[in-house]
Amino acid sequence: MKTNKNILFEEIGKELPFSVPDNYFEQFANQIDKQIGYSSTRTHKIFRTWMYAVAAVFVGVMVLTPVFYTSNNQRSIVKNTDNYETYVLSQVDESALLDCYVDNSSTK
Amino acid sequence: MDPAEKDLQLQLSQPKKRAAAFSSLVRSYQERLYWHIRKMVLSHDDANDVLQNTFMKAWNGLDGFRGDSQVSTWLYRIATNETLTFLSNKRMRNLQSLDGDEDMMLQNLQADTYMNGTELQQKLQKAISTLPDKQRLVFNMKYFDDITYEQMENILGTSVGALKASYHYAVKKIEKFFSEED
Repeated sequence: MKTNKNILFEEIGKELPFSVPDNYFEQFANQIDKQIGYSSTRTHKIFRTWMYAVAAVFVGVMVLTPVFYTSNNQRSIVKNTDNYETYVLSQVDESALLDCYVDNSSTK
Repeated sequence: MDPAEKDLQLQLSQPKKRAAAFSSLVRSYQERLYWHIRKMVLSHDDANDVLQNTFMKAWNGLDGFRGDSQVSTWLYRIATNETLTFLSNKRMRNLQSLDGDEDMMLQNLQADTYMNGTELQQKLQKAISTLPDKQRLVFNMKYFDDITYEQMENILGTSVGALKASYHYAVKKIEKFFSEED
């Protein structure tokens, strides 16, 4: 059998008629972090991680640049040699080439 | 002691891991402790102040924590002491002011901007505010948080028998408050 006490408290329930500002607990925890000096430690860690990442990229660039440079250079030498031959041939007319060929044959 | 509790206490005792462990402790217990305090001081601003004092006291007292109780019990004990000290200081200030101590808790309740809920819930808070601090504490912990008398004994340092009696008297007074109001 339910007593008056049970009826009263069942009707009221256990909900509290209070609220807190938005994001209160998140901000509170961050505030305590700052007060105990944890926030700065974490920032330092993040900064250190970033520094490692930047250093790794820098080393990578330093190592790979000569490799790319060498292969590109070789490619451009080959390209330049082709261009030079084409250029020289374009400057000489056909009759001169023929004279040269005839001269060489008579010498032999 | 369960392994998680053991691990937590170990981390709190190591200077290098202490801050990180305490930060996660704050995140785990802040809501529970906030409501434990808020039910007593009623105003959000006061609860915020007391909660901050609680965690800073815990942080500064970590070296004194010997691990003879659970971390949660230790935190609840600090929060309870801070709350009772806060209320006692506030009463002293009110006694010295012209307003006097009368209805201090009721004023706190009415002045709070973060108060909502049904009429009955607000009326229950008014009824609870008429109880002595220790009785309010016991009623709140039992009624709202379902904390066992044995856990309460560890936190408050009061025997189970005395706690049961305290809760019984609190319930009687609240019922009387409601019957007189009707």
